Amino acid sequence: MNELAEKVKYWNPYLGGVLLGVLLFLSFFVTSHGLGASGGVNRLAVAVEDLVVPEHVDKTPYIAKMAGGDRDPLAHWLVWEVAGIMLGGFVSGLLRGRVKVQTYHGPQISSHTRWAYAFVGGALMGYGARLARGCTSGQALSGGAVLSVGSWVFMFAVFAGGYGLAWFVRRLWQPEA
Amino acid sequence: MNTRHLPEILGATVLLLASGALAFFGQPGLEQKWELLAPKYEPLLAERTVYIDPAELLHQMNDDYIHLVIYDVRPESDWNEFHLVDSERIAIENFAAQRDRLRLLPENAVVVVVSNDEILATRAWKYLMTVAKSNAYILEGGLNLWLNIYGVAEEEAGSHGKASLGKPDGTLRHPFKLALGDRHAAAQPDEHHLPHREYTAKVKLLKKIAKAGGCD
Amino acid sequence: MAPFDLVALFGNEGSYLIYLAIGFAFGFILESSGFGDSRLLAAQFYFRKLSVLKVMFTAIVVAMILIFWSTALGWLDYDEIWVKPTYLWPGIAGGLIMGMGFILGGYCPGTSLVSVATLKLDGLFFFLGHITGIIIFGETVEFISTFWNSGYLGFFTLPELFNLETGIVVFLVTCMALAMFAGFEWLHSKIYGNTK
Repeated sequence: MNELAEKVKYWNPYLGGVLLGVLLFLSFFVTSHGLGASGGVNRLAVAVEDLVVPEHVDKTPYIAKMAGGDRDPLAHWLVWEVAGIMLGGFVSGLLRGRVKVQTYHGPQISSHTRWAYAFVGGALMGYGARLARGCTSGQALSGGAVLSVGSWVFMFAVFAGGYGLAWFVRRLWQPEA
Repeated sequence: MNTRHLPEILGATVLLLASGALAFFGQPGLEQKWELLAPKYEPLLAERTVYIDPAELLHQMNDDYIHLVIYDVRPESDWNEFHLVDSERIAIENFAAQRDRLRLLPENAVVVVVSNDEILATRAWKYLMTVAKSNAYILEGGLNLWLNIYGVAEEEAGSHGKASLGKPDGTLRHPFKLALGDRHAAAQPDEHHLPHREYTAKVKLLKKIAKAGGCD
Repeated sequence: MAPFDLVALFGNEGSYLIYLAIGFAFGFILESSGFGDSRLLAAQFYFRKLSVLKVMFTAIVVAMILIFWSTALGWLDYDEIWVKPTYLWPGIAGGLIMGMGFILGGYCPGTSLVSVATLKLDGLFFFLGHITGIIIFGETVEFISTFWNSGYLGFFTLPELFNLETGIVVFLVTCMALAMFAGFEWLHSKIYGNTK
C-alpha cells in the first residue's frame, strides 16, 4: 500500500488538536505532568538491559538512576502511559479497520528500503530524545504548553531539522516529480 | 462568504478571545498566591509546627546527612555583629531569585529562617513558601534566644549579657563588645560539651516524589 | 487546588490506572488523526499534509489557554506542575537530530507506538531503532557529559525571557500559531493547488 488515500478517513486535524489539547490540560491538572512517550520507551529499554547485563546497568550512572540495584525501571508512570498509548492506538485502529500488517512507504521506494530508513530514523530519534531530555510529546507539547523556553527552542529545532533534510530525502516520500 | 472555513474561523476567534481576556485578567501575584496557600500554611504557624528549638537547629547543623540551608533575614548591621556559621544573609525581596534553587533542593534538605526574634523570620517564611514550597522552618525565639542559651560567659572576648525575651521587638538585644560575625563561639556551639537541652523534634525530611515530565 | 497527589489519593495501582487511561486517550486521538501513518507525518515536511503542524500547535494553544486560565482562577497551582528545566544546547542539538530522524524514520516516539499497535512493520523497525538509539545514548553520554549539561537556564519560561506578563505571552503565542496555520495553508495551496 503506497498511495496516501485522498479520501480523508482521519479526523480533521484541528479537531484532533483541540481534543489533544484538552487531554494535555487534564493531564497537567490531574497529575501535574504533561504527556510523555520516549521516557517510557527508555525505561523499557533499560529494563531489558537490566535483564541481560545487570552489572553493567549498576555501573553506568545514567542507567543506574533508573534500574541500578533494586530499582525497578518499570515502576514508573511513563511506562503505564506508553502501554496506554499502544492500547488506545490499537483500539482506534481496530474500530476503523486499520489494524493490518503492512508497511507504509513512499511510492518511489520499496518496503525493505523503508524498513532500513525507519530503523535509522528511529535510532536518531532515540538518541536525540535522550539528548534533548524529551521528545515531541514531552518536550514540545507539554513543555510548549507551559511556555518553557527550552521546549519552544527544541520544537523549532525539530522542524528546522526536518525541513532542512526533507528536500534531500524526498525520494523516500514524494511521488515522482 | 466562504462558509467552508467557518468552523475554523470560529475556533480561531474563540482562541483569540480566550487568550486576549487572559492577558487582561492576569496571573496570581504573590499576595494572591499566599491567600490560596494560607489555609494549608497558617495552621502550621498557629500550631507552632514549623518553629524549631535552638537545640534542634544545633542538631541539624551537626548532622552530616542533612543538606541545611540557613537564611538570615536580618539587617546587615545585625549580621555583622553576630550570625550563625554557614548561614546566608538574604533580604526578603530576594527570595524570588531563590526559586530555582529551592525547587531543586535534594530530598534531605532542611531550610531554616532566622531573625532576632521570630517576627521577621515568620514574614520571611511566608514569602519563601509562596515562592517555592520548601521543607522550611523558623528558629523559635530567634537569635536572641539562641544567644541566651549558647552565648559565652561574661569574661571572654565578644561577650554579652542575656537578652530579655519578654517583649520581642525584632532587635538584637545582646550588646556585643566586638562585631565578630560568625567568629563568636556561639556561632557554632560545640554540641558535645554543652548541657543537654530538651526539645520537641519537629524537623521532618520530605519524601520527594521524583518529579519528571514526560520523556525524562 | 489541583494538581493532586495521585498516590496519596488512589494508591500506586490507582495512579497507574489513571496514567494508563491518559495514555489510552492519547493513543486513540493520535491514531484517529492519522498519526500512525508515516506517510502522513512525513508529508508535513513537504507541505503536502499539514496535520502535524495543526494537531501539535492547536493542542499546545488549547492546553496553554486552559492551563493559564486555571492558574489565574486559582484552580491550578502553577508551581506544582512540571515545567522542564531548560538545557539550551543539548536541546537544540537533540531537536535537530530528532528532526532529521523524523523525516528519515517517518515517526516520532509517540506516533511510532501507535504505528506498532496497528501492526505496521515500518513502525516496528522504527521502534527497534528507537531502542537502539536509546542504548547508544546511555553508553556514550558520559563522554559528552559536559555538553549534555550545558546551557542550563533552570525553569525558564517565555514570560521571563521576554519580560512580559504571562497573559500577554499566551495571547501572542496564540496569534503566532494562528498566523502559522494561515501561512502554511497558503503555502500548501501555492504548491499543490486547492486539493486538500
